Amino acid sequence: MRAGIVTGSYRWIGVLLASVAMAAFPVAGACGTSPGGKLSIEASLDPSAVAPGGVATLTVQVRSAGLNLPDVTLPPLTVDVQRPNEPPRRTPVTAERAGTSQSFSMMNNAVERSATTVYRILPQSEGTIRIPALRISMGKETAQSSPLTLTVSRTAASQSQAPSGAIGGPAKAPGGKPEVFVQATVDRSRVFWNQQLLLRLRLYSRVDILGDVDWKPPPTTGFWTEGLGPPRRGRVLVHGVPYEVMEIPTALFPTKTGRLTIGAAQVRVRVSRVIQPPDPWSMLAVPEVVPQDLALASDPVTVVVDPLPPGAPLGFQGAVGDYKMALHVDSLTVRAGDPVTVRATIRGTGNIATVRDPGIRARGATRQYVVGSSTKVDRSGDQLQGERETDVAFIADQPGALTVLPVAFAWFDPEGGRYRSQRSDSVRVTVLPGTGEPAQAGRAGQGIAAAAALRRKPGPFGTLSPDPPPASVALLGLSALAYGGALAVAGARRKRLRDPRMARLGVLESLLTQDLSRADSLASRNEPARAAAIAEHALLRGSGIRYDVDLAGVARAERMETLRSRGADEAEVSGVESLLDSLGAIAYAPLETRVQDARQAIRAVRDRLERYRRELAS
Amino acid sequence: MSARVVLSLALALAFALTIAPLAEAGTENPQGQDRPDAAALYNAGTEALARRDLGPAVTFLLAAYRIDPRARDIRTNLGIARARVEESQGSEDHASHPAPPPIALSWTESWYLALAFAMAGALISWLAAMRPRSTRLLITGCVFFAVGILSFGALFLRAHEEAVHPTAVVVAPVLEVGPAPDERPLLPYLLGAGDEVRLGPTRGDLVQVRVSGNAIGWAKRSGLWRVADAPRYTGNSGV
Repeated sequence: MRAGIVTGSYRWIGVLLASVAMAAFPVAGACGTSPGGKLSIEASLDPSAVAPGGVATLTVQVRSAGLNLPDVTLPPLTVDVQRPNEPPRRTPVTAERAGTSQSFSMMNNAVERSATTVYRILPQSEGTIRIPALRISMGKETAQSSPLTLTVSRTAASQSQAPSGAIGGPAKAPGGKPEVFVQATVDRSRVFWNQQLLLRLRLYSRVDILGDVDWKPPPTTGFWTEGLGPPRRGRVLVHGVPYEVMEIPTALFPTKTGRLTIGAAQVRVRVSRVIQPPDPWSMLAVPEVVPQDLALASDPVTVVVDPLPPGAPLGFQGAVGDYKMALHVDSLTVRAGDPVTVRATIRGTGNIATVRDPGIRARGATRQYVVGSSTKVDRSGDQLQGERETDVAFIADQPGALTVLPVAFAWFDPEGGRYRSQRSDSVRVTVLPGTGEPAQAGRAGQGIAAAAALRRKPGPFGTLSPDPPPASVALLGLSALAYGGALAVAGARRKRLRDPRMARLGVLESLLTQDLSRADSLASRNEPARAAAIAEHALLRGSGIRYDVDLAGVARAERMETLRSRGADEAEVSGVESLLDSLGAIAYAPLETRVQDARQAIRAVRDRLERYRRELAS
Repeated sequence: MSARVVLSLALALAFALTIAPLAEAGTENPQGQDRPDAAALYNAGTEALARRDLGPAVTFLLAAYRIDPRARDIRTNLGIARARVEESQGSEDHASHPAPPPIALSWTESWYLALAFAMAGALISWLAAMRPRSTRLLITGCVFFAVGILSFGALFLRAHEEAVHPTAVVVAPVLEVGPAPDERPLLPYLLGAGDEVRLGPTRGDLVQVRVSGNAIGWAKRSGLWRVADAPRYTGNSGV
């Protein structure tokens, strides 16, 4: 309820406006007017029911005809707490004076002043707050407002709460849309360990916000938190209703796995309330703006954090995101004793502040120092970006070379779901002698023997070309031909030796050239008996080769029969046997004819074997 | 049989090593580039070594070593030059840098040694072919001939590698070996004077540099001397 007072000739208009206002604004209020009509006071309460911890606004408007305006004092307020089985008790209530505005109007030589004072009532426990009648007096005029009652109850307050997710406090749009509410959202509900999660904390408002918003960030236990710049502002449509939006983005990096909860964010905001002037026809009666404080909270958000998959590469130190590494050496040529600074820069998206520096090492350095590390973070976008630089200085005291070994960096790419790594090339830095070091030209190095003296005579002469000399190529060709010829000859010879007929001819040849020659020799040396024995053996073997049979040790009759069976005619058999008889008789021949007989028999054997050879060769 | 084999090999070696100088006598030109003087190259390298001009020193001494590899003075000074190169590059084991081996053959000697083995193999094979039951002798001849042919092939491969990727020495104090202008930019490798590399194809004033069979980038041709061209630089300081 709300009531107003209008003085002078426009009272009926005030009554009309009061009726309209009562229909439009469902608030509790009370007013009182002095008997002379020169003084009035009006008190209203908004809302009439509030939950413990909430805020109710008490607006007191005092109007006076004249220049003097009496002051209003709000007495101490208490909550009447009545619980079952307990005696009633009273607890004090905090009531703050939020502000006062005054107005002044003059019409038809009549001056009127008014003052509006706003109090904030902050009850902490359930019960009933009774606001007594507020009394003012000026001269003989006295007016007082009607007492008001504020119900502090969760049940009563919930009847006027905003829909789920919207905390509108006492202010409600006519269509049910909250005037002010806060919302917390995340860009994904499932992330990997140390992967960025974007938390958007948004304050939607359809009324003017006074001053700064008091943000109390949500509890983020289990997250590494990085703010993403100052609050952002904009306008959006929510269910067709335009809202001013203030957003605070925050990057969260889970430091634990499992189900993690982002708590409720607390927002305290002061909005402006417009109080209509008591005299709408007055030129000086502009609408009064009274601030109102609201406390809002967002809903908790739960996300699932997965651990990183197995198979991390060597050197992985927990970096998660999208990175690139660059290596820079400040100088490729230095003097001994001067430092060479190597800078490893890791740039990319992710929790760059927690990226561990890669190991930078060098070969040939006497000393090395970590110059420093720095991290630059770019919070302008929705993704936390930045770069981390690590500087290491190497110093070589001796001239020569200093080699910066390859630097490796590994990280986990959550978008690709795999580990990645990057490895730089090695860098070689030439170390020149120091400025104060004596020149070493012409001096043998430490541990190096002295150089040999110059030569006085020319030569030898040679060639620096590795090409083969033409003569060697020609000779190699000839050698290859000769080798091929040797192989061909050896192969033909081997093939011929494998023929049985050639083998028999070879044996006959051996008998003729070796055995019979030896028999001749023995006969010449007056050993006819031994010569005859050798000739007899040669004849038997030669006959056996001719007719392809072994006659050694065979009896005479069997020998003759064998030769006949192998194709020898009767004359041949008789000739062989006769010759064998002659050779056997030499041992018994007279001494004076024995040698002659032996030579004659050996000659006959030779003739026969040569005939055999001719027959086999044909 | 062993006596015949040794005799054949000795005959082949004697023939090859005797005919080698005779075969090349027609091309000898002590004043020209076809038959450079090892002593002149050695003296130029030794003088450069005294000046600590390591790039030319290594180049000249390497060229002299190719002609006269068993000369003690050349081996000594080449070892010193290489040790100083490593010393200048910060290596700690330069004092134990080994000198070139004393038993070494020049390119020409290597060719004729391989030829001698092939000739001995052919000769022994003929001996085996002329005798009955000479299988072992024939196998010995085949082994000799195979050794000669394989050695010849290995030398031919080395000669081909040298023709395609000639050996060169860095003569500039610091030579940057980086990517070609049309390649992805990378940090350059730095080579010091005296470093021995091989060369690849050329692009304008750039030449591809190879180390251990791998191309590491491109460098200015003016910073490198080919060992085969060393006689051209005799008398040049190389700086």
